[in-house]
Amino acid sequence: MKIHFKLNGVATEVEADPDEMLLEVLRRDFKLSSVRETCGVGICGACTALVDGAPISTCIFLAALAEGCEITTVEGLGGDHPVQRAFEEAHAFQCGYCTPGMILTVKAFLEENPHPTDEEIKMALGGNLCRCGCYVKIIDAVRRAQLSS
Amino acid sequence: MARNIPEWLAPATLAEALELRAHFGDAATVVAGGTFTGILMRQRLIRPGALLALRNVRELAFIESAGEGALRIGAMTTHRAVEHSELIRQGWPVLAHTFSLVASPRVRNQATVGGVLADADYASDPPALLAALDARAIARNPQGERAIPVTELITGYYETSLQPDELLTEVHIPGGVERAVYRKFRSRSSEDRPCVAVAAARVRGRLRVVVGAVAERPQYFPDICALASNERTGHELAVEIGRRYAAAIDPISDSRGSAAYRRRVIAVEVRRALEDLDQEVQP
Amino acid sequence: MSDPRVTGSIRYAQDIEFEDMLHARILRSPYPHARILRVDTSALPEHVIALTPDDVRGLGHYGCQIKDQTVLALERARFAGDPVAAVAAPTRREAEEALDLIDVEYEELPGVFDVVAALAQNAPLVHERHPISDNDAAYFDMRPQQGTNICHRFRIRHGDIEAGFAQADVIVEETYRTASAQHAAMEPHACTARWHDGRLEVWTGTQTPFNLRMELAGIFGLPEERVRIVCPPMGGAFGAKTFVRCEAIASALARKAGRPVRIVLERSEEWLTLNRHPATIRVRVGARRDGTLVAKQVECLVDTGAYADCGPGVAQKMGFASPGPYRIPHVWVDSYCIYTNLPPNGAFRGYGAMQAIWASERTMDLLAQRLAMDPLELRLKNVLVDGDHYCTGEVMHDVHFAECLTAAAERAGWSRDRRGKGLCVLMKGMQTPSRASIVVAANDDGSFTIHCATAEMGQGAWRSMRLMAAELLGVPVERVHFAEPDTDIAPYDTRTTSSRSTYMMGQALVEAVRQVRENGELGYGEFVSKGGLDPDTGQGIASSHWHQGAGAAEVSVDEETGKFQIVRLHTAIYAGRVVNRAGAELQNEGSMIMGLGTTLFEGITFADGQVTNANLSDYNIPAAGDLPQMSHDLIERAGADIHGLGETALPPVPAATGNALYSLGIHVTELPISAEAVLQAIERRDQRQATHDSKEGAKEGRR
Repeated sequence: MKIHFKLNGVATEVEADPDEMLLEVLRRDFKLSSVRETCGVGICGACTALVDGAPISTCIFLAALAEGCEITTVEGLGGDHPVQRAFEEAHAFQCGYCTPGMILTVKAFLEENPHPTDEEIKMALGGNLCRCGCYVKIIDAVRRAQLSS
Repeated sequence: MARNIPEWLAPATLAEALELRAHFGDAATVVAGGTFTGILMRQRLIRPGALLALRNVRELAFIESAGEGALRIGAMTTHRAVEHSELIRQGWPVLAHTFSLVASPRVRNQATVGGVLADADYASDPPALLAALDARAIARNPQGERAIPVTELITGYYETSLQPDELLTEVHIPGGVERAVYRKFRSRSSEDRPCVAVAAARVRGRLRVVVGAVAERPQYFPDICALASNERTGHELAVEIGRRYAAAIDPISDSRGSAAYRRRVIAVEVRRALEDLDQEVQP
Repeated sequence: MSDPRVTGSIRYAQDIEFEDMLHARILRSPYPHARILRVDTSALPEHVIALTPDDVRGLGHYGCQIKDQTVLALERARFAGDPVAAVAAPTRREAEEALDLIDVEYEELPGVFDVVAALAQNAPLVHERHPISDNDAAYFDMRPQQGTNICHRFRIRHGDIEAGFAQADVIVEETYRTASAQHAAMEPHACTARWHDGRLEVWTGTQTPFNLRMELAGIFGLPEERVRIVCPPMGGAFGAKTFVRCEAIASALARKAGRPVRIVLERSEEWLTLNRHPATIRVRVGARRDGTLVAKQVECLVDTGAYADCGPGVAQKMGFASPGPYRIPHVWVDSYCIYTNLPPNGAFRGYGAMQAIWASERTMDLLAQRLAMDPLELRLKNVLVDGDHYCTGEVMHDVHFAECLTAAAERAGWSRDRRGKGLCVLMKGMQTPSRASIVVAANDDGSFTIHCATAEMGQGAWRSMRLMAAELLGVPVERVHFAEPDTDIAPYDTRTTSSRSTYMMGQALVEAVRQVRENGELGYGEFVSKGGLDPDTGQGIASSHWHQGAGAAEVSVDEETGKFQIVRLHTAIYAGRVVNRAGAELQNEGSMIMGLGTTLFEGITFADGQVTNANLSDYNIPAAGDLPQMSHDLIERAGADIHGLGETALPPVPAATGNALYSLGIHVTELPISAEAVLQAIERRDQRQATHDSKEGAKEGRR
């Protein structure tokens, strides 16, 4: 079936089966490698993309549900988004595998809650796992991103 | 080696959706938010022949107060919408709070009120609280509708009393909810599924305590709750009700705790929920 | 210029693509121990390539320390998950569906699922023979016990243990258990193999490229130069991505198919690939009334699963870490590496030290309690100082145990109040012997490129290397590049494990830079660390230098449910010299957070040899909301050697936490520490208190 959506600002159409997940489509048909599979059950956040501005686990999101939506991956942030800069300044990553998911989650979070408490930050990051254990610096990155916007 | 590619059905109205549901029955998997279905399909636990997606049935996404202090929430309302609804935060704050505890922000962006009930996941938060609030799930088929108390909706692990031609269209919370609390006890990570969850509410003068996450269905014992006839339960009675709930339940054993451990925690958490409920009483 | 991790443009092993590439999936034994009678692939479509035991029967055996592995299980499957067949197809989905079309007939056999069962007389043998490997990871003498499930036995014999205990005024004994755990790196195992001009080329996330090259050459009967390993950066490893994992299967499929083949594991398969060694450790320690340690006896039973992997090395390291950083005149250690019919266990951050430190440091607190001594005072009284001999006979140098311990205790406010607080001081060895070599090439534009086989798994090694080279070369770090490791180009390195790379490569870099500055073209440097231990006596040099640290934890307990919080956590780690400060902080913080998982909720559960929590919902790893208040010190000394930081801050977390609980009378001996275990310990404590009170009451009554 044909699925139509806007991907990183560009209107596009893709052929996919109804049982395929958005993650497969983004990686295979658009070569976007920033969305990655880790857990396959929607828990870890490494596959996060923004769908109509809201973070979604693309590994369990049926591609057909993206019809008419606006999808943003980290490739669509331009490389110099305030959240990306904040992550670099705070050194908030090690292996980098979870980083795009973290960045998108933080972007959406700060847009909704521009002045969060530390508790709110921790809860907001709860669905994004980082096995390297960069949480301390990621929380710092969130605070820096707050200051810069 | 042809793979069975499922049919994608995306009705635009409720009437159309009901027709398709009646036609396909359980041969088509209903997709509300799609989180649960997505997990089952990604893990290859189900291979549906057809998918009935409700995303375009906008008329099922609503939050409105009904007469006499009642609340109606459409089945396609997301968890996130419930979490952020001014109406719900003002009138039913524990409801907004409980929906905000579910899983992660990503899940809450997608998952729906109807879906979480129809999935009947024993560890989900909303069913236990909705049961405590004496909520009803409205099920419709082309012939009409019926109201199913949430305590009767869930019949087993991931099983409901919904018929193959029925769609869950809304949740109705009757008026008269005086106060309510929800406690989610996790024995491990802050992101873990709960080990024991307790919803307690005083609805139209009666105490309702529902324990979730410990057995296939939310656990509600009206006879035990009837012991508490006063506005405040008080410590001793709270202890007694906790003890009786623990004795009445046959909990599961899993990575989050053994059955024996869960029994211990049920007694403690039920008591604590009742103490919290007492705190809510206006002086 | 933005970091590729932040722009999303970084390429991991799973992102490597070739035009005619096939996707592979592995068929695994559902039984923990079974004879494989028949593998029937006749129902597969023609375009799907299958790999069966017959295809690989003639290939070489392998195994980094014991040569006990074959590319697919041949006569017998030895754990539930053992690869029995594999398929390659144009899409991953097709490969997965092809697995359902393979018919395998098994004959179940009795299995052993824990070390006690495995050691019992007449226990079924997981392997009939334990041939020792001849590759570079078999760097120490091994003692396999033929005819048993013991594939290595390490001993320390220092002093006279009986005489030692005879001198003790107080003796304390306890047994501890640690569960198995999963590395759970965010990136699953992934590799792509292709045959090209008679050479095997493999792109894989690996920490051990040269060992892998050696092993694949042996498997396929090729000279090593005909095998090439290329190492993209990894999305985490923590020991999981060592030695041969999926590469042999991918290579065999690629050869049969005549096309490149990629394998990317499903998350559930990670629990069937490599895990952490569970251990049962018995400790007996004797001391004089004034707290001086006189004797320590330790027995480690290390479950290595169905294939040894580097289990012998882990058992050895667990053995020589178990006495702890103390002066003890009489030390006797026996550490056994034991086969069971469970998935194989291998390198895991801490490499045996975590388990040993848990047992040793918990016992120090039991001893302190018996002596009515402050646990800090007991440790400071016995801790090693410069010039002391360790029980292996080696002389300790650059020693900072007391300093780390004091720093940790101070941060915890130990002198004010120690209720609910616990301490740990630890020593951990670094892979000895080992060899590192490095090339620095001058480029035409005035920049330089480093070629070495150090793998990047998030620890920041490539950046550290660039910083060190830049400093030596006298150029800005932007002018120093690090080439992705390629065994065709990079010179030999033992492997990227054991927190050795910054130190070892840093040493080799000095000579390489000196040469390139001299000749303007190319410089080569090498650094070798010598040492090793006699496996029968444990004497020699365990580690050319030691990783040292301490930790303090403060807990608060909900005594009605046993649920407890780690309120504050602090580690003080000896770094010697910090090269990359942000990287060093991240390593300490990351180790501490992984330690939280080890302490609080990470444990693989089994039922009759089957993993029952092989997913990230049932198996919890730490999330942001699990963080306590955390702090750490990186202790440096002018002119000191760089000390690796990749692991040291992990082991103090469980030990200090266990000791913090113990300060409240809550005695737990198993990891992870479950709320249920705490509740049971509270009941035991309250029982002891009630018994004690009633005895006191009876005494009162009689007066």
